[in-house]
Amino acid sequence: MGTVEIGLLYGGATLVALFAGLPIAFALGSVAVVFMYFFMPAASLDTVTQNVYEEMASITMLTIPLFILKGAAIGRSRAGSDLYSALHVWMGRVPGGLGVANVFACALFAAMAGSSPATCSAIGSAGIPEMRRRGYSPGFAAGIIAAGGTLGILLPPSITLILYAVAAEQSLGRLFLAGIGPGVLMVVLFAIYAVARYRREKAVATAAYAQGGTWSELLRTDTFTARERFAAIPRVLPFVILLIGVMFALYGGIATPSETAGLGAVLALVMVAGIYRIWRPGQMGPILMSTLRESTMLMMIIGMSLLYSYVMSYLHISQGAAEWIVGMHLSKWVLLAAILALVVVLGFFLPPVSIILMTAPVILPPLKAAGFDLIWFGIIMSIVMEMGLIHPPVGLNIFVIKNIAPDIPLRDVVMGVLPFVGLMLVSILALCLVPGLATWLPGAVYAG
Amino acid sequence: SAGGLLPTRAQAQTTLKISHQFPGGTLTEGDFRDRLCRKFAAQVEAETKGALKFEVYPASSLMKTVAQLQALRKGALDFTLYPMPYGGGEIPEMNLGLMPCLVTSYEQGLAWKKKPIGEALTKALEAKGVKILTWVWQAGGVAARGTPVLHPADVKGIKIRGGSREMDMMFKAAGAAVSSIPSNEIYAGMQTGNLDAAVTSSTSLISFKLEEQSKSLTAARQKSFWYMLEPLMMSKTVFDGLPAAQQKALLTVGESLEPFGMEEARKDDQRVAEIYAKAGVKVVDMDDKVMDEWRAIARDTAWKDFADRSAEAAALLKLAEDVA
Amino acid sequence: MRAAELDKGPGAARLPRGASAPVRWAGMALAWTNRVIATVAAVAVVAAGIVMTEEALARYFLHHSSDWQDETAIFLLVGATFLSAAYVQSRRGHVAIEAVGGLLPAGVERVRRWVADLISFLFCGFFSWKSWVLCHEAWVEGYATFSSWAPPLWIPYLAMSAGMTLLTLQIALQLLAPQAGDAPMEGRAHGHG
Ligand code: NA
Ligand code: NA
Repeated sequence: MGTVEIGLLYGGATLVALFAGLPIAFALGSVAVVFMYFFMPAASLDTVTQNVYEEMASITMLTIPLFILKGAAIGRSRAGSDLYSALHVWMGRVPGGLGVANVFACALFAAMAGSSPATCSAIGSAGIPEMRRRGYSPGFAAGIIAAGGTLGILLPPSITLILYAVAAEQSLGRLFLAGIGPGVLMVVLFAIYAVARYRREKAVATAAYAQGGTWSELLRTDTFTARERFAAIPRVLPFVILLIGVMFALYGGIATPSETAGLGAVLALVMVAGIYRIWRPGQMGPILMSTLRESTMLMMIIGMSLLYSYVMSYLHISQGAAEWIVGMHLSKWVLLAAILALVVVLGFFLPPVSIILMTAPVILPPLKAAGFDLIWFGIIMSIVMEMGLIHPPVGLNIFVIKNIAPDIPLRDVVMGVLPFVGLMLVSILALCLVPGLATWLPGAVYAG
Repeated sequence: SAGGLLPTRAQAQTTLKISHQFPGGTLTEGDFRDRLCRKFAAQVEAETKGALKFEVYPASSLMKTVAQLQALRKGALDFTLYPMPYGGGEIPEMNLGLMPCLVTSYEQGLAWKKKPIGEALTKALEAKGVKILTWVWQAGGVAARGTPVLHPADVKGIKIRGGSREMDMMFKAAGAAVSSIPSNEIYAGMQTGNLDAAVTSSTSLISFKLEEQSKSLTAARQKSFWYMLEPLMMSKTVFDGLPAAQQKALLTVGESLEPFGMEEARKDDQRVAEIYAKAGVKVVDMDDKVMDEWRAIARDTAWKDFADRSAEAAALLKLAEDVA
Repeated sequence: MRAAELDKGPGAARLPRGASAPVRWAGMALAWTNRVIATVAAVAVVAAGIVMTEEALARYFLHHSSDWQDETAIFLLVGATFLSAAYVQSRRGHVAIEAVGGLLPAGVERVRRWVADLISFLFCGFFSWKSWVLCHEAWVEGYATFSSWAPPLWIPYLAMSAGMTLLTLQIALQLLAPQAGDAPMEGRAHGHG
């Protein structure tokens, strides 16, 4: 059996296992082990557990639970709703203001966290219930958070850009700076979309109500006095202090990127304890247990998907596909399109970390030979991988959403994220037409 | 039902896998450690008239760095080009592969192979299922955000990443605050300042592009306290299962690549100095006198720690010291 | 997709009449164990955060070496992840795609769920077995990490083995008695700490 047949069988078996309703982690793990048994040296089965352990036992990977803890401390306590009500006081007049605020919140958290699901979880645990409470449709609310969360790997720091920098032998400093422009572009696009979609949902709700339909929270117009506005400010202060504290520790040389995760979590817990008096075990319980549920679910998927990608790599499936594309000697832009298409397909099954590890060594030399700037490509590839995070079957951000809001049907979530996938495509096109969006900033900072 | 379509295990084994953690390239371009693997693959393939074929997995694209050793020992992986000290937690003898100031030149390192230390190390590793095919030593230097790290007094109070158990012990004794920051965070660490200096191989100093965040480099052009054994290793189980002719081809080609490894490692020692100097980084070199200062510390810390493990370890260290 | 049927109401807390006495006892014992372990795991996550904070502050302000903190944090977090896997499973918290479920007739749907649980059980059983083998090997051979601190590796391997074994038991219970295996809903599980 050739690589193509094995590859198709592997992909097919995975789809069957996933859609049969096995938990994602166990589906990926069991497909990997079965293929290992049939196609790999017998001794491979003895290395399964050490491989999974080594994949997980990296301090970079393990920042995810801590970022989730930090998000939960805010999102699952009164702190989160306080923050959102303050935001509502200030941004209530802007149509879709709450949605825009959530996009910004995702971007801010992304500037502290290196991973997308962690960003998604941190902002979503308060953001989704809040948006739904104010009448946003479930799909819309889920879409904003899922898509906003993906900024975690585009805005520095980013686990995947770190891996890419090493694999591509590119400067991490330049790569991080290159992500900022496209990140800002996407924030703007997401925010514009949030406003437009809000207006449409509100128009529909207004029309429905006018014809004797049901009342929607979207129709509520609160007006606030100047006094109320100023009274709301202190409620935002703790977050500003937390944000500045963490950023200062990270960019001021006190904490390494990984340590920032621990520091942020501890600061957030201290904050909710100090300001909201949440410190008794009974009050801490919901925060800690939701952290545990979410991070264990995610870490198990990440651990098992790296086992899955180990088997895929050993069987030379993704490398074979990449080599096949490279071997066709396509013209410059067709090569790029073909490689990105491959990344999209891999994104169906794999998280970004695995995609980079497997494909980078094969695709980067030909891309470089074709004259592409590898810093620029790293950003393009990250955006394509972001798309993978929000589409099924394996989309880590979607799983986070399902954990936060189990009652939103998958269909709604998928429909909700689709427009954002479109906006990501727009961003990729913009980057192809205007490479400077990514390359200008690093060029300016590292000039000379 | 699909049983008939499945290849036998034996067939799946005709293609051998080489895994390593370094950036990937081609036969002629890129990181020399990757090129060494590709050269090895091409030459063995030619030598065995295609009976043995290879797939090279660079940049940890097959499995995590540390996991390679167990996979190799159990026969789940065929080859790895592996930094010895990473295996020190599993096979204590491997700690000798990066003992500060024990080896201070390429000639001295490569002389091990034919001396009692080489024989003893080979025997110890083979007992654990690991076969060394190509001895590769690599020197390393120190990139620093401030003044150059030359004498032990230079590291006092600075935050430095030694990168191995033994280096860390030496630096700690010299008064440094050692950091366990993962290698992929070195750049960010130096950028923000929570790391003042990092020690690693010349080749990695180049690929990490630390010149962008450094003010000074202690190069390994002349002497270095950092010589790491980073051999191309094969699974003994897999080796023993091959016909004698193929075994011979593997051994011959493996040994024939040793001069290539040394030459390229040397070139990188030069290259790193040039690249950093061009970026405006101050480049300094170590000499014998400096080496003696560090050796005095290493002897009381890392060396002692190793020798204290067991009588065998002490004897092994003695053998290594005998190679001047 | 079922993210978590965790909040399906207090009804889930009661053991069904259909389940046999040993299964019910096992279910209660496991639920209690999971509760205790989840609490410990939650504390471990916070402890990891504190350790990493100490690492940053001690290095920056006191110029201390940071040699033990990363590995301590890794052990705590890996341990918390594996040990709480059964607790998460008891709430069906390991996300699955259940899109097909709604399209199937009830009888077929029951079989599908059962088969999904069976495969999960087999996989986790296999993983537990191999974990214990690894743990034993690390203990006998004295494996340690390669840092200057060099803590023994049987510690995290033990957490992995124990956690995966509990997870396997949890799934077994859910196979034997689909309702009994699903533990009481959130809130009750830890509200009394
Ligand atoms: Na980020
Ligand atoms: Na996906």
